[in-house]
Amino acid sequence: MSSAPDARLFDLGYRSYDGPRHPPARAILTLGVFTARRVLGLGRGALHKVLPAITLGIAFLPALASVVFAVFASEIVADDLISYGEYTFFIGSALALFASLVAPEALCPDRRTGLLGLYLAGPLDRTRYLAAKGAGVVGVMLLITVAPLLFMLLAFVVAGFGPSAGDTPLLLLRIVGSGVATALLYASLSMAVSSFTTRRAVAAVATVLLILVPVSVVRSAIESAGAPDELDLLSFPFVAANLSYRIFGETPEGDEPITHLSTGLVTAGLVAVIAVGFLVCWLRYRRIEAFR
Amino acid sequence: MATLPPHPDVVTARGVVKRYGRTVALAGLDVEIGPGITGLLGSNGAGKTTFLSLMLGLRARDEGQLAVLGHDPSTAGIELRSRIGFAPEHHDLPSELSASDFVRHLAEMHLLPRRAAVQRANDALWLVGLGEERFRPVGTMSTGQRQRVKLASAIAHDPSLVLLDEPTDGLDPVQRTEMLDLIRRIGTEFGMDMVVSSHHLEEVERICDAVVIVEGGEVVRAGTLAGLRSGPEGLVVEVDERVGDLAALLAAKGFDAVVDGTTLVLGGTDGVHDAVRDAVAELGLGLRRLEPRGRTLEDVYLGADA
Repeated sequence: MSSAPDARLFDLGYRSYDGPRHPPARAILTLGVFTARRVLGLGRGALHKVLPAITLGIAFLPALASVVFAVFASEIVADDLISYGEYTFFIGSALALFASLVAPEALCPDRRTGLLGLYLAGPLDRTRYLAAKGAGVVGVMLLITVAPLLFMLLAFVVAGFGPSAGDTPLLLLRIVGSGVATALLYASLSMAVSSFTTRRAVAAVATVLLILVPVSVVRSAIESAGAPDELDLLSFPFVAANLSYRIFGETPEGDEPITHLSTGLVTAGLVAVIAVGFLVCWLRYRRIEAFR
Repeated sequence: MATLPPHPDVVTARGVVKRYGRTVALAGLDVEIGPGITGLLGSNGAGKTTFLSLMLGLRARDEGQLAVLGHDPSTAGIELRSRIGFAPEHHDLPSELSASDFVRHLAEMHLLPRRAAVQRANDALWLVGLGEERFRPVGTMSTGQRQRVKLASAIAHDPSLVLLDEPTDGLDPVQRTEMLDLIRRIGTEFGMDMVVSSHHLEEVERICDAVVIVEGGEVVRAGTLAGLRSGPEGLVVEVDERVGDLAALLAAKGFDAVVDGTTLVLGGTDGVHDAVRDAVAELGLGLRRLEPRGRTLEDVYLGADA
């Protein structure tokens, strides 16, 4: 019997695998990307894409409006455009909403469905698992804290309204620095909250409450009860917005909270809140029973 | 990545103790599990799942030594777990993911490149009989299909060791038979060592090469299935009548004979077959059954439990 010299057998079915395998650290990247895709609804039904799309739309709206105004208005007045520094303040509600969606979606279902146990039965431990989840959550949060500003910068540069070539690298650094700080703050808070419940809705509501309730409570305590001004560091949206102003070298209009605190103190407060948020999440996961 | 060298003993445990507060889950467990399919048998709460979690390095033992594939799970956990496949007892899986995406994702999590993970996820799902259903969301699948998805996810990355926790839980008799056949096939054809946790004696008896019986956090019996089932030497004889006369005649010829209803249990080996033949012929009895003495796994288990 003769056979073609280049004949091959395809579809051999299940068989042993002796091909390449990634190093164990690759599992962190794989899970981080998988988490980000799931949170954004990629590879899922249309319903899962609605809320992320709406929130991203809200976050991009000021940038889009600013760019459209700059391009089509007959006379541009710099004060009419949203500055980079005040952008975080403008999208405060979108940030709170997005934070309440992202971390609960990233963390809660894994515990609810037992997927956490399957992950930990693979080449991950709890710290690596949380690192992957944290990377996924922060990565997605950057879409809302950095991407609109980058879009605005790019549009202004293309339209000829942008900064000079010499100023652009510094502005880029400021955009990234401000965005990363804000993303880390909201990610840490929402991950800490999400570590306490397997219910996404509960985690989402609790995250919004944690972000918004202290703002009015702290203000009342300072104005009515004479509490120290440093308590304003618990007004998380104002901390993020105020630090953003400072990073861009701008001054907020009016008498906003935190303005009178030093930059060092605001930065230390932000770092402390981020650290506490992630620490709470990590400590919670050390105690969570993953194996049932 | 660091590769784990082959090791003759799949699992070796010496005096392993695990406590949850005041509750002792494993009380000095000693066992050696070799290649092949090993059943981890015991009642609910016997310590099977705790032992599986220690093998995976998901929990820390309080005392003793444990080696899985020659490595300590508490120190080599990540490298070790990348070469272990695990199917948990629970049936909750991400409902909106398709079976293919789920198995592929876990294969990627076990460090397979994406292309290989896609291919092997499909191959594994075809192997477990879900080839046509692989794009269906897991949430729409029956319990039997979910068990198969879990099995596929446990083997897709071609692990050296597969741990299955109650793999037939929730299955009807037909599905159970199919699942057991599948496990046996995977364990014998693809070179994977398997540890199957179960509290069903007949399942373990049917598919396993060896058995570890755990009760109260201790190993009470362990060995190959054939070894455990082999009883004392001798014969079981069943005749249609006058079993007492037969017993007396054989006793007179020097054989220990114990009457149990219409059955006679004889000890010894030398000449026992000839003696029974001659005695039955001499008394003119009808011989209904003549077989070597032996034990079922149930006998072993109940004996162990006592």
